[in-house]
Amino acid sequence: MFGKEFFVNRYRLLGWEFRDVAPRQAIRVNRMNVNGFDVVGRLGNLGVELEKVPFLENGYWVIRSDFSVGATVEYLLGYYSIQEAAAQIPATLFTDLKGKIVLDACAAPGGKTVQLADLMDNTGVIVALDVNKQRLEALMNQLERCRVKNAVVYRLDARQASKLGLRFDRILLDVPCSGNFATDKDWFRHRTLHDVRRNAKLQRQILAEAAKVLRSDGEIVYATCSLEPEENELNIDWAVKNLGLETVDIECYGDEAPTEVFGLKLDESVRRCRRIWPGETQGFFVCKLRKRR
Amino acid sequence: MTEKDVVEGFARLFGAELFLNKGFVVRNGDSYFLLSQKLKNLTEKRGSWLYAGTYLGKIERKGVFHPSSSLLFIIADKAKNRITVDDKAAWLFICGRDIFKEGILKIEGSRRKGTYTLVFNRNGECLGYGRIARNLEKLKGGLAVKNLFDIGDFLRRERPAVKEI
Repeated sequence: MFGKEFFVNRYRLLGWEFRDVAPRQAIRVNRMNVNGFDVVGRLGNLGVELEKVPFLENGYWVIRSDFSVGATVEYLLGYYSIQEAAAQIPATLFTDLKGKIVLDACAAPGGKTVQLADLMDNTGVIVALDVNKQRLEALMNQLERCRVKNAVVYRLDARQASKLGLRFDRILLDVPCSGNFATDKDWFRHRTLHDVRRNAKLQRQILAEAAKVLRSDGEIVYATCSLEPEENELNIDWAVKNLGLETVDIECYGDEAPTEVFGLKLDESVRRCRRIWPGETQGFFVCKLRKRR
Repeated sequence: MTEKDVVEGFARLFGAELFLNKGFVVRNGDSYFLLSQKLKNLTEKRGSWLYAGTYLGKIERKGVFHPSSSLLFIIADKAKNRITVDDKAAWLFICGRDIFKEGILKIEGSRRKGTYTLVFNRNGECLGYGRIARNLEKLKGGLAVKNLFDIGDFLRRERPAVKEI
């Protein structure tokens, strides 16, 4: 159960015809650092051609640049981050982030942690967890570069978040996943259904831990860059049926998630999730959850 | 010396007076952080954190305090010793190079050899700091400021880069 034909056929059964795509590089302006000045115009003066991403408030596609946009003074000063367009969606789905206690459960390398800090105006607290030492270094560099002031970083497995003895208002679960072919040209060669199922199991464990540490009026945003339903719709169906969570309507780029996957009927509320097939962006999946009321 | 003294002492090298709240500057291993009240409360009860609040810098070999870019930004508004450089010198500086007299647009504060000075670009953005290598009063050209730290360090320290998704 592997190979391009196997996976492409699965996508067809989910309603999407495979095509090769090359998602464009994107940046996100860190509003907390630019103090109203026009960083996009400034990059334009350097010869960087940008196009506003229509479904993002602070996101821009890099149309053309003669040099790496990760090597400008503006980047080094934390005025913007390099962040793929679909990856900018999850943090924007929370309501009312300012002053909240937020868990970024799988935080490294930190693009979304910085985005959360930006959306929070550096208020409240972000508790950022990860386990990989090298990726944690990258996370901490991002926090420094982007002048994040409200984060605390622990080397801790997301499945042990309850060890902190905290309850969270908002939880971002940008969980480890199998990825997708749009950002990994060798994806079909090295991924198997076994990998997908192993990741799905890990993701359920993380979801279960998140449900434990979520405040009664809190919100979870679950996201993967996987196209495989085991890591997406099936996990959310499981969470709804086993963790006392319910999905919440979201308005964002992407298609309504299917509620029938390979002949399996899922909870109708899974429809509220968004599946983003590769094209303008990489492949992505997002869902917002809260405790059942 | 308290954590606060270390950080404020560093700021004074540039003629900047910082008044940090003592209990909110904390040392974690070799690193120094400035915490908010919320972060202070949270971290006090939960040890073993790696990073919190605003990273101020760390003590390196031989006990020398090495500042973060965040600390330089905090100091930037208050520093008396400042050098503004042209675009070419600014670019070379963030590539780790020293500053030559020819690239300097403006000098504020001390011009004496050995003085620590912040380095700014034309937009007034702090790019790092250095130490005046020769008395700038009489200097006609050549090496003027030795680069001690610049924001290009973010690129150099992350090699090999971790892929951002």
